[in-house]
Amino acid sequence: MKTSTRWMTRLIAVCLSFAGFMTSAQATLVSTEQVAASEGVTSAADQRAYVNSMLTRADVAAALQERGIDLAQAQARVAALTDDEVAHVAHTLDTAPAGASDVLGTIVFIFLLLLITDILGFTKIFPFTRSIR
Amino acid sequence: MIARAWRWAALALLLAAAAALGGCAAQTETLRRAPPAGLNPRVELAATPFFPQTEYHCGPAALATVLAGLSADATPERLGEEVFLPARTGTLQIEMIAGARRHGAVATRLPGTLEALLRELQAGHPVLVFQNLGLSWYPLWHYAVLIGYDLERAEVMLRSGTTERLVMSMRTLEHAWVRAGSWAFVALPPGQWPATAEEKAVVEAAVGFERSATPAQAALAYRSALQRFPDSLSLRMGLGNVLYAAGDKNSAALAFEQAAQRHPDSAPAWMNLASTRAELGQRDAALIAARRAVASGDAAWAERAAALLASLEAQAKDSSAPR
Repeated sequence: MKTSTRWMTRLIAVCLSFAGFMTSAQATLVSTEQVAASEGVTSAADQRAYVNSMLTRADVAAALQERGIDLAQAQARVAALTDDEVAHVAHTLDTAPAGASDVLGTIVFIFLLLLITDILGFTKIFPFTRSIR
Repeated sequence: MIARAWRWAALALLLAAAAALGGCAAQTETLRRAPPAGLNPRVELAATPFFPQTEYHCGPAALATVLAGLSADATPERLGEEVFLPARTGTLQIEMIAGARRHGAVATRLPGTLEALLRELQAGHPVLVFQNLGLSWYPLWHYAVLIGYDLERAEVMLRSGTTERLVMSMRTLEHAWVRAGSWAFVALPPGQWPATAEEKAVVEAAVGFERSATPAQAALAYRSALQRFPDSLSLRMGLGNVLYAAGDKNSAALAFEQAAQRHPDSAPAWMNLASTRAELGQRDAALIAARRAVASGDAAWAERAAALLASLEAQAKDSSAPR
């Protein structure tokens, strides 16, 4: 038992150090997307992906579901937003305190707000392509 | 009180309707009155295949039309699984672009002018267009593929829905297309670019393509894009990064060197050059590049540049120390 634990520890240690090595080797280069973003090109696409990745986080998805917001619908809404609006959402997410509950609160607030303005008819954030038959 | 609110809402709706209906098809008029130089009066890409849509699947069908010949497995059925959202009986615009990428095509947004669409057709590229066939406040979204135009008759030809050759007035197309945000793209194999694509759209398409393509394919896309936009920092850095990812560090260093020479104020160009040179064992050259990265004074990268220089200097000291 004791030897197997020791072996396991060694194995994990090797794996971890290898993983660390891999990331440090990769991290030396600045990625194209980072360069393009600093050039002001793909930042919108990046932010969109970032907001979407937030939505797919398990705790965020669960919180949205609790409040009756469909995940696919929330993502569709992100796609419907203009680049500026997405930048605003991403910025709000970024500047929100790191605690998960705060991020959750921000996301839920944003989507409830959009839902309400949609219902009231102030906005028409329907990206959706209801095509003709 | 409530009745007054409703009256205001109704008024607002009417105004919106008037605004939507009132705009004239200015681009069509201009194109007809003074056809731009070098634009053929009539083009039709008759060989473009046709995939009749089923139910709400106009997105997958239109995507299959522009991907035909580029990808063997880009059938409407397959694409339907990849890009269609059953809950919303539709396909999102970003998914159309991403769907093309997943099938090895580079999808590039076109400038939002009718003339650009016609020029692409003349270059032999079917154009995927997004339309709002309804009104701004009662939208009926639709994807279709533009395959031809006739300036004299002010008509366009489309593969649309279940109609193999839909002839539409150019004015109607302009209205529906502008109402949907003048959104159109062309899907081409890596190495080719739309005739009218602007630098920003090309960079966006190439960077997006890098995400899902093999390094060799991405390198092909970057090299061809650089021929048109040799001064784009993002494209040159992209070329270096994919060459590096492909394991060709010598070529990557060359690309980063060119990026740094053309954009001496770019910290990332010097940083990537320094890292790659260090991995090639060129310690002194790497140190020179890292110092240039720090000297560039780019605040956004200052911290990373300084850390890189420090680590390279530490390595140099280690190796020169007597053993």
